[in-house]
Amino acid sequence: MSAADRKGVSFDPRVKLICLCLCVLSTVIAPSLLYELGLVALTAVFGALCGRIRYALIAVLGYAAFYALTVAALGNLTGPLRTTLIAFLGLVHKVYPCGMLSGIIISTTKVNEFLSAMNRVHAPQKLVIPLAVMLRYIPSVREDWNYIKDAMKMRDVSPSLKGFVTHPGMTVDCIYVPLMMAASKTADELSIASMTRGIENPKNRTCLVRIKIRRADILFLCCFALYFGLGFFI
Amino acid sequence: MPNQTPAGKQRLEVKDLITIGIFTALFYVFTMIGGIPFGINPVLTFYLPLGCALLCGPIFLLLVAKVPKRWAITILGGIICFIMFATGMHWGMWLGYLILGFAADLIAGTRRYRSVRTNILAYAVFCLGATGSYAVFFIDPAGWTAAMLKNGTEQSYIDTMTASAPLWVLAVIIIGTLLVAAFSGWIGGKMLKKQFEKAGITA
Repeated sequence: MSAADRKGVSFDPRVKLICLCLCVLSTVIAPSLLYELGLVALTAVFGALCGRIRYALIAVLGYAAFYALTVAALGNLTGPLRTTLIAFLGLVHKVYPCGMLSGIIISTTKVNEFLSAMNRVHAPQKLVIPLAVMLRYIPSVREDWNYIKDAMKMRDVSPSLKGFVTHPGMTVDCIYVPLMMAASKTADELSIASMTRGIENPKNRTCLVRIKIRRADILFLCCFALYFGLGFFI
Repeated sequence: MPNQTPAGKQRLEVKDLITIGIFTALFYVFTMIGGIPFGINPVLTFYLPLGCALLCGPIFLLLVAKVPKRWAITILGGIICFIMFATGMHWGMWLGYLILGFAADLIAGTRRYRSVRTNILAYAVFCLGATGSYAVFFIDPAGWTAAMLKNGTEQSYIDTMTASAPLWVLAVIIIGTLLVAAFSGWIGGKMLKKQFEKAGITA
């Protein structure tokens, strides 16, 4: 992690999770497209404050494109194409704000902060450790996948749909076996590493970064809560 | 957490928890890869659980083979539930994963997590979690439509969905998911025998 991560306000991980809950609830009750647009804007402000200005800008522009497309599709198209497009866009509108917010949260929360925040709320270790490991492992899956794809090319196995149809057994073996071998090796290494660093210590964790709910946290929590409440009145 | 489980039962250690975490990541990624092509298509959207079930069998079986202890599958279900929740999926789906994750744990536990067949059955039950939102649809179609329309989803979309979804579709979804999951599990079982047991990866 570089120094760039420390830019901007760092929010409390607990508050981030509650905001995410409120964001999900808001998309569940979202009464109109305009409301969703507002939610994305609110999320973007949150992201910018976290120091992810570029990410927030790109995400808002992407959403604006989808918004324009939706308006155009609602106005101009007819028939099955319209239905297909609307179905797709409906899903986008439901998932976009939450995905955007969780993207910001995952990229700005360090594993140690997350773990000690979860300890503070007395979440069971049995859930917190796998969750933390998983959040950090997902990006490596993609990395592994790229290596595996290269290796497969060398052996003339195609990881595409065509490969699946022509050589199903070979393709399946070539995808799963290396991925899962890598995964179980990583699991072994990681558990040795984390045991050396004292993850089994029964005492409470300490953390260099102070986990504390500050005024900015409360302010943002209120913003999301108010916005959620607003959804009932539109 | 020490002394949480009674003595005599195998406790989950840190190593197991980390293994669960890593395999959950793989499980989630493969569920997404299988599910997305179905999810974005109004005609196929009902068959999403089939797509989700198709790819994860080997991962599930290897996880159970590596961590043959109580609560492992429940934790998998719980974390998948959390992630689905965090990415804005329908509540029926993530609640389904949570509940059926626990059920799958009980099923696999009847044979102490050692029987491949029982584990495949557990996997099939686990995969039914994704059908949760469709079960909600068939229990109360009117309420579903109202909620969707309020959410900015279009009437014509609902019409297409309803037209492509008479009641037998629910049976097709459930039985299809079970079959696809069994197939995926079968492949997984073969792979386990051919590759991983020889390599000494399983516990």
